[in-house]
Amino acid sequence: MKPQFLFPTWCRWLGLALFLVHLPVILIFKSYDLHSDPNDAGMFSVSHVFFVVTIVLMVSGLFLIAFSRERIEDEQIYQLRLSSLRWAIFANYAILIVCLVFTNSKADYKDLLRLNLWVPLVFFIVLFSYKMFRLNRSLSKEDGYAK
Amino acid sequence: MGMQNSLRVERAIKNITQAELAELIGVSRQTINTIESNKYVPSTVLALKIARVFEKPVEQIFLLEDGD
Repeated sequence: MKPQFLFPTWCRWLGLALFLVHLPVILIFKSYDLHSDPNDAGMFSVSHVFFVVTIVLMVSGLFLIAFSRERIEDEQIYQLRLSSLRWAIFANYAILIVCLVFTNSKADYKDLLRLNLWVPLVFFIVLFSYKMFRLNRSLSKEDGYAK
Repeated sequence: MGMQNSLRVERAIKNITQAELAELIGVSRQTINTIESNKYVPSTVLALKIARVFEKPVEQIFLLEDGD
């Protein structure tokens, strides 16, 4: 099989670490209520820098988790990856359309952007992990019969 | 699924495990296992590789089910 472009396996743990690091950063952000300052609107304002830092940490973390190589990549895993990705895209667009229909023009579109950033990746990671879990469980069942 | 195979039998004749076969053709053991239990249909390339391990034509290992 042709090799697919994926990150090395250890990137999954790096991604998980980045994702976990972004949670306390968000907590600090929320607890100090930094984005309530109306005069603070520049490119390098505290709120914008915090927003960028949390978003970049979260998205790059999820991205690395989602697209790191399994220990053995073969065509079946490639197929599972592809079908999980398809469902993630379906879910993302369904949620996006519902959000667009049920929000009016006064809504903060930054929230929609944020939603759109993590929904496909999280859906993909959950679906793909579940499929891999089921695949591995079929193997342990097989071992159970063999004993 | 419209295909059946005699992979398990062929493996028994050659006396190799799922893990050994998986390593020979460079796939995961899960894939061999799901092929054997007819849950996964391998690509032509993979079927040819398996056939080469057993030194048999593909049709002797993978068969279409009746009515397909």
